[in-house]
Amino acid sequence: MATSTPVSIPIPSSRPALSWQNRLQRFLLLDSTLGYLFLLPALLVILGLVAYPFANAIVMTFQNKTAGAPGRFIGLANYRELLANPVFWRVIINTAIYTGFGVGLKFFLGLGMALVLNQERMCNNLFRSFLLIPWAIPTVISALNWRWIYDDASGLINNILVRLNLIDETISWLSDPHLAMLAVIVVVVWQGTPFFTMSFLAGLQAIPKELYEAAEIDGASVPQQFFYITLPRLQPIFITAIMLSAILTSASIQFVYILTNGGPADRTQIFPTMAYNLALGGAQRLGMGATVSLFFFPILVVFIIFLTRRMLREKGE
Amino acid sequence: MTPNVTTPGRVQQAIPGQWWKSTQLTLSMTTQRRIVKGIGNVLLLLMLLWTAIPFYWMIATSLKHDKEIYGYEATLIPQQPTLANYATVFRETPYLLFLRNSIIVATGSTVLSMLIACLGAYAIARLNFPGRAFLARGLVFTYLVPTSLLFIPMFAMMSALRLTDSLHGLTIAYLGFDVPFCTWLLMGYFKSVPVELEEAALVDGCNRVTALVRIVLPLALPALVVVTFFSFTHAWNEFLYAHVFTSTNSARTITTGLANFMSADVFFWGPLMASTILSALPPVIMFLVLQRWVVQGLTLGGVKG
Repeated sequence: MATSTPVSIPIPSSRPALSWQNRLQRFLLLDSTLGYLFLLPALLVILGLVAYPFANAIVMTFQNKTAGAPGRFIGLANYRELLANPVFWRVIINTAIYTGFGVGLKFFLGLGMALVLNQERMCNNLFRSFLLIPWAIPTVISALNWRWIYDDASGLINNILVRLNLIDETISWLSDPHLAMLAVIVVVVWQGTPFFTMSFLAGLQAIPKELYEAAEIDGASVPQQFFYITLPRLQPIFITAIMLSAILTSASIQFVYILTNGGPADRTQIFPTMAYNLALGGAQRLGMGATVSLFFFPILVVFIIFLTRRMLREKGE
Repeated sequence: MTPNVTTPGRVQQAIPGQWWKSTQLTLSMTTQRRIVKGIGNVLLLLMLLWTAIPFYWMIATSLKHDKEIYGYEATLIPQQPTLANYATVFRETPYLLFLRNSIIVATGSTVLSMLIACLGAYAIARLNFPGRAFLARGLVFTYLVPTSLLFIPMFAMMSALRLTDSLHGLTIAYLGFDVPFCTWLLMGYFKSVPVELEEAALVDGCNRVTALVRIVLPLALPALVVVTFFSFTHAWNEFLYAHVFTSTNSARTITTGLANFMSADVFFWGPLMASTILSALPPVIMFLVLQRWVVQGLTLGGVKG
């Protein structure tokens, strides 16, 4: 090497090496180079664990893929079969009811809780901490606990109702076709209300006290203050919280899976459990399961895009 | 309650059906306040009960003997409290194995995603390069895509890579939701660190990397703690991936492990409730310690609903 470039021999080798390093360093520290470099790991994760599986899911919907076997292209057969399946229509209605009532109840209860906790009172911090705990514990654990509360023979509710002589026969909360969905929604609400409470409480505390003082001087009553100051001020938080909760509630599998697994007679079947049961229970039809999930993507994506814009705007992007 | 009209100020015409728009409520401000306060206290009591009863039932069941749990002698309050159920959990079930797996997976995915997220969030919050806004959008978007849309192709992918039933596989899979989530949250926090501090550091001879390590990260330390908490509980509480990607106890985490207890033939609610309490304690304790910051963090873009 050295013989081919004799000129370099007498010159101290540190000089050119340093400038080469310097140049590389300067290039690496350019905002744009550094930006891509810093984002590279995150990008790889997103591409490998979100984008690729998602694209793969779309491909799978056109295949008769089962677990462990490669899929064959079957065109729109999965879609056709799904649309002809009455259970699927039931699932659409169920998912709408489950999400609509779940999010709606969480919203109103959460707003109530936040308003109550925003009042001045002794030990309010203690109450707040306690009311928020259902949010912190694993959802699976809430679901298991409620399954035991609903238990036919020895659950808490039947236990109390029998003691009070309100019923002669115990009620099968989770296997009665008319009650099962209601019972599941109650659990969803119990677990999910604190999220709304926290969001709204933060919003309430951000409203300047002066607004209420001024309104009072102008003679506004308490209900007026609520409807003219509190609600309008909270509205942006309402929208973000509702949309986020709608996405996550409709897509959450734990509650239904553990409480009823879709039963009785698909009365509580929602799209994640249907997808799960088709893809991983019994016949392991991955293609069919993916089709169920994908069917709901267009609805979810509207929410997701809207919410993405909102969240970025809130953060000044 | 004496009706009076001492409320000063403008008097509006009452609009039928919109009673709240009228100022002519005949109650004084103090009376109104007292009523609101009273209603608030009653509601608070109801909400405390609503939240507490399931916890009570969980704890009570875990402290009962079987004869108090099932059948005609079932009790509402444990008559002879016992820790036998807890002993059963540790002696006769693979609970400790699940616990170990949960700790490994949650810690591993949290450490990895925090490293990746700190770099990514700093780039988006502070560096100027083409495509930055697009990448920020992509991150939020992926954070909002729920795992129930992805678990089927993920299962196929993990099977093909032979990463099912392995703690490594699960840790990697969790990065898929942890990284976008942490990056998004940290981005907001990093933006709130004053740019001037960093500019001063750059003038004084720092480069971007040293500025990140010496200025931004120390200043965002409370945020790092909160995001670590979110990420850890997220992984600790995760069920779907854990359930789908594991098939033997060797890699099961707590959530899927407990769900599997239930599908065994015998329902043993006493030990099950004991183990749910044990599993809920770590996130609850962390939450109570970090509560104030957690609530603030939520306003920066919501967590799980």
